[in-house]
Amino acid sequence: MLSYILRRIAYALPITLGVTIICFSLIHLAPGDPLSAVLPDNAGPDMREQIKIAYGFDKPLPVQYLLWLKNVATGDFGLSIQSRRPVVSEVLPAACNTAYLALAAVLIGFPFGILMGAVAGYTVGGWIDRAVTSVAVTGVSVPHYWLGMVLVVIFAVNLGALPAMGMGPGGQSSYAFDWAHLRHLVLPAITLAVIPAGIIARSVRATVADIRRRDFVGTLQAKGIGEGRVLYHVAKNAGPTILAVAGLQFAQLLGGSILVETVFSWPGTGFLLNTAIFTRDLPILQGTILVLSIFFVFINLVVDVLQTFLDPRIKRA
Amino acid sequence: MAMAEPAAIRTVSEVLNAGRPARAGVSRSYWAGVRRRLARDRVTIVCAAILFVILAAAIFAPYVTWADPYKTSMIRRLLPPGSPNHILGTDELGRDMFTRLVYGGRISLFTGFMPVFVATVIGGTLGVLAGYLGGRSNMLIMRVMDVFYAFPSVLLAVAISGALGAGLVNGLVAMSLVFIAPVARVSETVATQVRNEDFVEAARATGARTWRILIEHILPNVLGPILIYASSLISVAIVLASGLSFLGLGVSPPNADWGLMLNTLRQSIYVAPVNAILPGVMIFVTSMCFNLMSDGLRAAMDVR
Amino acid sequence: MRRRTLVKAFLLAGLATPIAYASQPAVAAEKVLRVGMTAADVPLTTGQANQGGEGVRFMGLSLYDALILWDLSSYEKPAVLKPGLATEWKVDDATKKIWTFKLREGVKFHDGSGFDADAVVWNLDKLLKKDSAQYDPSQAAQASQYFGGIDSYRKIDAMTVEITTKTPDAVFPYQISGIVYSSPKRWEEVGRNWAEFAKRPSGTGPWILDKLVPRERAELLRNANYWDPKRVPKSDRLVLMCMPDSSTRTAALLSDQVDFIEAPPPDAVPRLKQSGMQIITNVYPHIWPYQLSYADDSPFKDVRVRKAANLAIDREGLAKFLGGLATPASGQVNKGHPWYGKPTFEIKYDPDAAKKLMKEAGFDEKHPAKVKFGISTSGSGQMQPLPMNEFIQENLNAVGFQVEFEVMEWEALRGKRRAGALSPETKGLNGINNSWAYWDPDIGILGISMSRLKPPAGYNWGAFTDPEIDALGEKAKTTFDPKAQDEVLAEIHGKLVDKAVWIWVVHDLNPRGLGPKVKGFVQAQSWYQDLTPVWVDK
Repeated sequence: MLSYILRRIAYALPITLGVTIICFSLIHLAPGDPLSAVLPDNAGPDMREQIKIAYGFDKPLPVQYLLWLKNVATGDFGLSIQSRRPVVSEVLPAACNTAYLALAAVLIGFPFGILMGAVAGYTVGGWIDRAVTSVAVTGVSVPHYWLGMVLVVIFAVNLGALPAMGMGPGGQSSYAFDWAHLRHLVLPAITLAVIPAGIIARSVRATVADIRRRDFVGTLQAKGIGEGRVLYHVAKNAGPTILAVAGLQFAQLLGGSILVETVFSWPGTGFLLNTAIFTRDLPILQGTILVLSIFFVFINLVVDVLQTFLDPRIKRA
Repeated sequence: MAMAEPAAIRTVSEVLNAGRPARAGVSRSYWAGVRRRLARDRVTIVCAAILFVILAAAIFAPYVTWADPYKTSMIRRLLPPGSPNHILGTDELGRDMFTRLVYGGRISLFTGFMPVFVATVIGGTLGVLAGYLGGRSNMLIMRVMDVFYAFPSVLLAVAISGALGAGLVNGLVAMSLVFIAPVARVSETVATQVRNEDFVEAARATGARTWRILIEHILPNVLGPILIYASSLISVAIVLASGLSFLGLGVSPPNADWGLMLNTLRQSIYVAPVNAILPGVMIFVTSMCFNLMSDGLRAAMDVR
Repeated sequence: MRRRTLVKAFLLAGLATPIAYASQPAVAAEKVLRVGMTAADVPLTTGQANQGGEGVRFMGLSLYDALILWDLSSYEKPAVLKPGLATEWKVDDATKKIWTFKLREGVKFHDGSGFDADAVVWNLDKLLKKDSAQYDPSQAAQASQYFGGIDSYRKIDAMTVEITTKTPDAVFPYQISGIVYSSPKRWEEVGRNWAEFAKRPSGTGPWILDKLVPRERAELLRNANYWDPKRVPKSDRLVLMCMPDSSTRTAALLSDQVDFIEAPPPDAVPRLKQSGMQIITNVYPHIWPYQLSYADDSPFKDVRVRKAANLAIDREGLAKFLGGLATPASGQVNKGHPWYGKPTFEIKYDPDAAKKLMKEAGFDEKHPAKVKFGISTSGSGQMQPLPMNEFIQENLNAVGFQVEFEVMEWEALRGKRRAGALSPETKGLNGINNSWAYWDPDIGILGISMSRLKPPAGYNWGAFTDPEIDALGEKAKTTFDPKAQDEVLAEIHGKLVDKAVWIWVVHDLNPRGLGPKVKGFVQAQSWYQDLTPVWVDK
């Protein structure tokens, strides 16, 4: 197993490199001179020259990439064009806020999805199954930013029960885990949880139904083993698959929260990305994407490794 | 191998377990069975009917609407649904909602189909080639795909269209790029399976050319699962495309897809909540119908 | 096995948990005023704020003072200048170029150091002297519109400063009111670094920065030792929050997350009133225009096209869409303004006349004049830019234009504005929808029309050139008697309207939404507002 883990880590390295190449190319994807993309609008000719050298735009592309990679490796993602603040100082707090929101969505969505899926998997074809299936398909089909808008109008504006935006009275600088702050989390987390809950319910249902159809469950039941034990065996067999789906959904949430964060003005990476796009702040755009995607690769790695721990029978190439 | 799945995209195994129609060629009785099962599936039929209506309305937009989608009127703004001449009311600039929704559907459906189509052609080709050729070609293609796969899907779409700048074409390019990797991965897995089947081995033994084997033996057997997988992507694409427009990265005014309509009607949500919610309902219904229909297709093609 | 998995799962969760959060005890009975701004980021805190009028309104003039300040205490009459960090000023009679400022005694920066002539010179160096250690390009960019006329400056004694302008300039006091003074001592303390200074700024203003979270909020504390006892803030804490989205601002006000919002969307006004919110409006020197390009490839070089565009817009309809929160414009300044003058070209809604003019210029519906405007998603004074532009797009397209937009964020649009239509950054744009002010003759009339005031010297974005206007402009610049100056300005304005220099659309009535318990706010007829007398009566 250890050798598998090592191989898996070795495999993640080239992927990470590939990710950095794509992030690097983003600035060159932008229309026009890459220099004008990173220059503030009011830059004079001396500033132009200065930035050209600072970014190494006078060198061939592969050299530029290596220079950039070297800076990134030392935590230097450049300066934001708009605020002139280091990109790292903007992206990291935002990434923490996004992860926090994603985690809340996980805590709401996953148990709900797993429970629904398991119940449906046990009652395949019955009315409960059909009800759960339609709730789940609703979950995966609903445009969640729209759902967020609707929830704001109902719960924040009309009922006044929950806040409409932001992270809390003190903002992110003085966050506390009290109700005054946590209530800000409720609506965005529910909105964000809808899609993964739907997806997880669907795959749990399929997995559980599949396992229950297998021979060994019938054998267990025939042997007169209690339904509780059978359930345990089903859960044990379904576990790795469910873990994989859930882990990936969590990872997706990190990147997928951009719309929800925009609706709720949640100061995370999505919100940051949105402003960066409209201010043409490409260093911020690049930095955010890089941080998130490396995180994404990392979570995939962790999920994979966890899965082998859960189910050592899985043999992987 | 990392098994990253874009949000709301089904797991590879889920698709593969379902759409595995045949081993040695596709028989006629199999398709008859599929048709019979589909005919009995009321949900799928209803969804197909709804989609057909939406699609037809979008294609024949000028013939099914009677108002000018761009004609504004300050006197008739934000009329509630059910007003005379405006069955679904009017938007924030007094344009007929029904007409706007139909014309918006044109763009929304287009932005749902187009990237999936492009991605299926490119990703499918790459995946089948990688699966059939194996070895180094497989390595090369699939490792590049893995890199694209290493981004959360929404993030990648936003990043690329953000870097390219707002606009319909840029949005389409971004979304196509997002979908290529998952399609390629599904295709590769299916093609690898089929490649080792006896009838392919037999064809190879007779000295048939690679492209002949690909077209005559591999393609008919991989097409089903790939298309099913692609059909499940359409609903994702519609939601994603409207999301990009909602952020202001999609079409530019006065054209509007459902996402941009949702964006601009958002500030009227206190005065005309129903009007403001309508474009979202359209996205929701369309995406749900695609999902259910794709489910139905999968169930019908499942031979188990 | 299972326990180990659990541990891993927690580890995974732990990695994603925000680490930086520290709880902080709530301060009891602190009087807090929470404001929802339209800006997407906290305005620059180093001195010269960015983010347009809003940045100066909430940050620039909160943390800092200028030598000359605006009197923002009246609802009834347009805001006028009053002494600020200078108690008096005069221009010499011989050259009309040398201005002497007597500085206010006893003014202290937030860090306790004293304000004096050295601080003034140091700050002017910060903007003008590129080889000085404290030179700050980003502040200079923001202030370039104010210091363009300055030739030299020097300290006379500890409390007297002399500033010489390049040409005799009667508008100079208005310009100097745009320059604010940061503490040299703090800049030394933070290691001679403006980025650090931004986190711990120090000015002389009525508010002191407490904390700043980029793109989210800034919290300001009351400066109990402010030099003007009448303007010591009534609230203890002022929270400025970034809410570029108008529906977010509305929802935040309705759900009691803020007490005061800028520019509520007109459609939300009935809902806000129904919930007991106060909607406050007042006239102020604002115009919502398209500034036009006079570059060689611009269709707007033809006066017929410009006039047609002005006649194509249904301003009454637009004002209606804006819920009556705007009035139709018939020129740069509103009718009844001392500078309005006697234009002969009447700006109104006349699509037939517009079509005729377009035809004469060689355009019709089959061969439309293709134009592209830069517009913003939000911003100070921009009102409801997206739907308004969409409305006007339809108006213009109906008479023979084909209008395209380049949508950008507010600060990006301002960058294009500062660059000017002839610069490479604005290539392809035939106009920009950048809301404008006319609180002083330079910004309102002269800066936009005199050929020598093209960016960066002035605001003539499109490089409009007309010798007659230039001559009249020089006359206005050297007319130091305000009454006589008004007459020259009125003559210029009449001619600007006749030449349809810009497309003028509406004047904003500057709506603001205040919570039911907000007291003490007097909305001045100005782009700037004073929040010091405002408090929430709990």
